[in-house]
Amino acid sequence: MLKLITNPIGVTALSRREIVRFLAVSIQTIFPPWISSVLFIYIFGVAIGRQIIFTIPGITYLQFIVPGLMAMHLISSSYENTAASLFIGRWHNNIQEVLLSPLSYLEMVLGLLAGGLARGALVCLGVFAASQFFMLQGIEHPFFLIYFIIMTSTIFSCAGMLAALWAEDFGMLNLWNVYIIFPMVILGGVFHPLSLLPLPLRILSHFNPIHYLVCGIRYSIVGYSDQNIWLCAGLAVTLAAILGFVTVYLFKIGYKLRT
Amino acid sequence: MRDSDNAIHISNLSKFYGKLQALNNISFTIKRGDFYGFLGPNGAGKTTTINIITGLSNYNAGSVKIFGHDVTRDYRDARRLIGLCTQEFNFDPFLSIAQLLVYQAGYFGIPKEEAKSRAATLLQRFQLLDKKDLKYRALSGGMKKRLLLCRALIHDPEILILDEPTSGCDLELKFLIWDHLAKLNKEGKTIFLTTHYMEEAEKLCKTIGIINHGRIVKMDSKENILQDKSLQDVFLEVTGIE
Repeated sequence: MLKLITNPIGVTALSRREIVRFLAVSIQTIFPPWISSVLFIYIFGVAIGRQIIFTIPGITYLQFIVPGLMAMHLISSSYENTAASLFIGRWHNNIQEVLLSPLSYLEMVLGLLAGGLARGALVCLGVFAASQFFMLQGIEHPFFLIYFIIMTSTIFSCAGMLAALWAEDFGMLNLWNVYIIFPMVILGGVFHPLSLLPLPLRILSHFNPIHYLVCGIRYSIVGYSDQNIWLCAGLAVTLAAILGFVTVYLFKIGYKLRT
Repeated sequence: MRDSDNAIHISNLSKFYGKLQALNNISFTIKRGDFYGFLGPNGAGKTTTINIITGLSNYNAGSVKIFGHDVTRDYRDARRLIGLCTQEFNFDPFLSIAQLLVYQAGYFGIPKEEAKSRAATLLQRFQLLDKKDLKYRALSGGMKKRLLLCRALIHDPEILILDEPTSGCDLELKFLIWDHLAKLNKEGKTIFLTTHYMEEAEKLCKTIGIINHGRIVKMDSKENILQDKSLQDVFLEVTGIE
């Protein structure tokens, strides 16, 4: 990978720009998911969660949903960051600043991805920190957590870039998020274990890749997963590699970037 | 890095937009240190040519080399040598003017401290230093034009490509830009200029090429082109505009 990066200063500059951009509007990018998570944790985890007879031994419902919320916001923040940044770049045509530079196509994607990863990780870990007001929970498998944050963020940062390349207006940009990603996240086990679902939905959930990412983050935090953790890890790296490859390829051919 | 005295070498270049042929097998060479005026009516293929040279547009046939570097196969080395001053104000709306330049320099591999120093020098040279903390939207049209030039020059490119840099400028700004371009050319930069102003090309350029309907219809030194006619007369004659 290091040999593939011939312009490290360029990649750093682009990464820094992406991070500065979302931090400059943190009132829109960072605080809303933290606030909504605190509300979710309080209402579902604490108020309603106390009344739920939970069937997974050794963990409370609150402990169960916190990693789910972390995954949910990691996914949405990573996606939104790259989707908005690249689409606005296309819209204002200031993406040309990057396209005219001697960054390789891989380096361009890495620079944009760094913004998605930074925002996703900040939001995700912020949700975990906020949950400590309601429960004292350590991190069972910190290396798995780092791994799943990087993989999940890479997958959805690339998905955000693909959406930004495909979309022709802001409405199209939101289509993926509203009609595909959000339902898959909710059905992916953020709030429920698979065992609570009726059989058809339970079977369907096995084909939902987001379910495996949620399981990976849950295993990292509380040591419990509905799926084999190595299957989750393998699927995550495979998806990240495929989406990363497709994104770099589209930059290379200039799909909707060059006339 | 520079393995050729040909700053820009275009060979049999063709470009289609769907069924419309924007460039029809054009070939020309611009020597190092030249001040090249690229003229043509609207839609003749000027901006398409610029976009292909700078990598903003794909092409269907032919080749484009920048000091010997192919713009497709060897695009990183080719892009490092070019600074583009676009027609439109396509700046990142979230950044201040100084940040814009420092990040742009960064993409070209220039370390942050050096980038800051270069940005300050250019902003001083183009009388924008006191505006460095503003967003570009707060600038007047003339200031934005100057900022485009700063951005194109931040990585000290060998070739400066300008797409109608003085369109919409008042006389004072036009003279200021002309003065800067003449100085840059004197310093050794190769300049590729498109313009609709004949007096601009006549005053600044050493070589002139005229494109019409995607074909190069005239290209020669300014002296040879202007033997006993004005540039406007030559332009009208070769483009068939009445």
